[in-house]
Amino acid sequence: MNETKGKILVVDDEKGLRIGTQRLLEDENFTVDTAENGEQGISLGVASDYDLAIIDLKMPDVDGLEVLKQIKSVHPNTICFIATAYASYETAIESTRLGAYGYIPKPFTPDELIYQVEQGFRQRQLVVESELLKKERDENLIEIASEKSRLNTIIKAISDGVLVINRIGELVYFNTAALKYFDLDSLSIGDSALIHLPAPIVEIIKKIYSPDQALQKTYSIQLELKSNNELFVESTCTPILQNDKSIAGVVVVIKNITEFKKIELIKSQFVSMVAHELKTPMAAVQGFLNIILDDSISIPYDTQRDYLVRSVIRLKSLTDLVNDLLDISRMELKTKQREITEIKLDEIVQSVSQMLELELKKKGVTLITHYEEPIPTIKADANEINRIFTNLISNAIKYNKDKGKIDISISHSGSYAVIQISDSGIGMKTEEKNRLFQEFYRAKNEKTRGISGTGLGLSIVKKIVESYYGKIEVESEYGSGTTFIIHFPINTN
Amino acid sequence: MDLLVKKILLVDDDIDLLEQNKLILENKGFQVVTGESGSEGWSLFQKEKPDACIVDLIMEQMDSGFVLTHRIKKTEHGKNIPVFILTSATYETGFKFSASTSEEREWIKCDGILHKPVVVEELITKLENFNPKTN
Repeated sequence: MNETKGKILVVDDEKGLRIGTQRLLEDENFTVDTAENGEQGISLGVASDYDLAIIDLKMPDVDGLEVLKQIKSVHPNTICFIATAYASYETAIESTRLGAYGYIPKPFTPDELIYQVEQGFRQRQLVVESELLKKERDENLIEIASEKSRLNTIIKAISDGVLVINRIGELVYFNTAALKYFDLDSLSIGDSALIHLPAPIVEIIKKIYSPDQALQKTYSIQLELKSNNELFVESTCTPILQNDKSIAGVVVVIKNITEFKKIELIKSQFVSMVAHELKTPMAAVQGFLNIILDDSISIPYDTQRDYLVRSVIRLKSLTDLVNDLLDISRMELKTKQREITEIKLDEIVQSVSQMLELELKKKGVTLITHYEEPIPTIKADANEINRIFTNLISNAIKYNKDKGKIDISISHSGSYAVIQISDSGIGMKTEEKNRLFQEFYRAKNEKTRGISGTGLGLSIVKKIVESYYGKIEVESEYGSGTTFIIHFPINTN
Repeated sequence: MDLLVKKILLVDDDIDLLEQNKLILENKGFQVVTGESGSEGWSLFQKEKPDACIVDLIMEQMDSGFVLTHRIKKTEHGKNIPVFILTSATYETGFKFSASTSEEREWIKCDGILHKPVVVEELITKLENFNPKTN
């Protein structure tokens, strides 16, 4: 079967005409429903949206004009024809007023009918199309309206300050965050933005509005709005270009970058310290070598040798420093993959003290261990735990007295393993103790003279312990020794 | 050498650098006294009354050298002698060691900055050029 051209309702009480019309239209590929009286005509015509309806004017039950009225009230776009043998001027006017599209005088020839129906059908298509367009336009309008309020809500809610300034420097839009950054109680649309904004921003806005097109671009500047690093903002000014490339306005976005600036400062201070710590041993080595090479300074062979030995020591400390720095950076970047294994703390103590045996012997320091049974095991990366013990035990040797003592005890406390490393060494003053874990801090006094170190060892230990949610404390008395106490979580499962 | 400076006080907590500079300056004919901290430097200054001082910047504290220089320059004797700050902290390493504001410079009152490792010729030129009247 061919595809239907459209749906037509024929309402006529005269059977022959009804059937004849139906057949005729079906031959033209229309789908046709028929109603044999006015009432049926209304119920069918209201129930579905017909493209066309051909309604007989005179029917015994309900008048054709009533049928037309009812159908039109529900489906205003159904194209309706009134068919009648009693055409009069009045009914023609009345039916047009009720929305009929045309009049088909009876009797009609098939050609006449089809001509009228096709005219009506074209009209129906136009009506449907325009209806669709109207609906689309309405939907767009709703969308635009809600989009506008949505944008407004978003801009008002964001923490960045947003201002829009027109060609003559007037404020045309701003959000509350912008007021806050510039410490303004109130601003009104139409105020001169150039009076209220900081000079560097005004400078940029003027640049954007200059006739030189090369200057009409986006600019970003950082401004310290409150001194002492209290409020730093980044202000981005972007021109709004119209189709003809002229500038409609400038959007200024103010972003708070105070925290970022603080981190930047800490970072640059750290880099400064690193650079200084790297330069010092190099300067020492260079100094020794320059003296040895200087013909104008005569020094005995033994002294020359001593200088070379001391140079080697300084270079060794430089290497240690570089290694410590790499460790810190790896820890901070978390680039090192941890290999978590079960670690027996007594085994670690044993292997580290073996490694440091030579240093222990040189200074004549005795190492005593106390283990509380059952000896706690922890789950951690063996290299990192090794690092903790190496740094702490080698400190306990370095800062010990000759023939001194180191006590290492390992015990439990709740779900923590408690590691205590005590030395009988030189101890610390309170102010030294407070800065102990600070990067590059090294206690400097007459007793620490000649003890080498990078100033990073304890800071590394602290970082490792805390990364496992443990804690490190220090107790010390100047002149009589230091104890480091670590609480390290025991993984109970 | 017709220098007015004969006795120099060297203060540095790095014993290697201290020994090197002492040796170099002694080789040039100066008498050198050394201290290893800000506080030791201060007591040596009072005791020895040197003709010039060379003070390391970062010792016990980040600014020990500034503090010691300030103390020396406040004394009657210190006003008339050159006091130099010695450091391996430089602009490149980011330290504002040169004391950026005029108030800071006014407070420290040092007569110049020397960089490690110190070049003796540069030091001697600075000592020669020092004129207390212009300070």
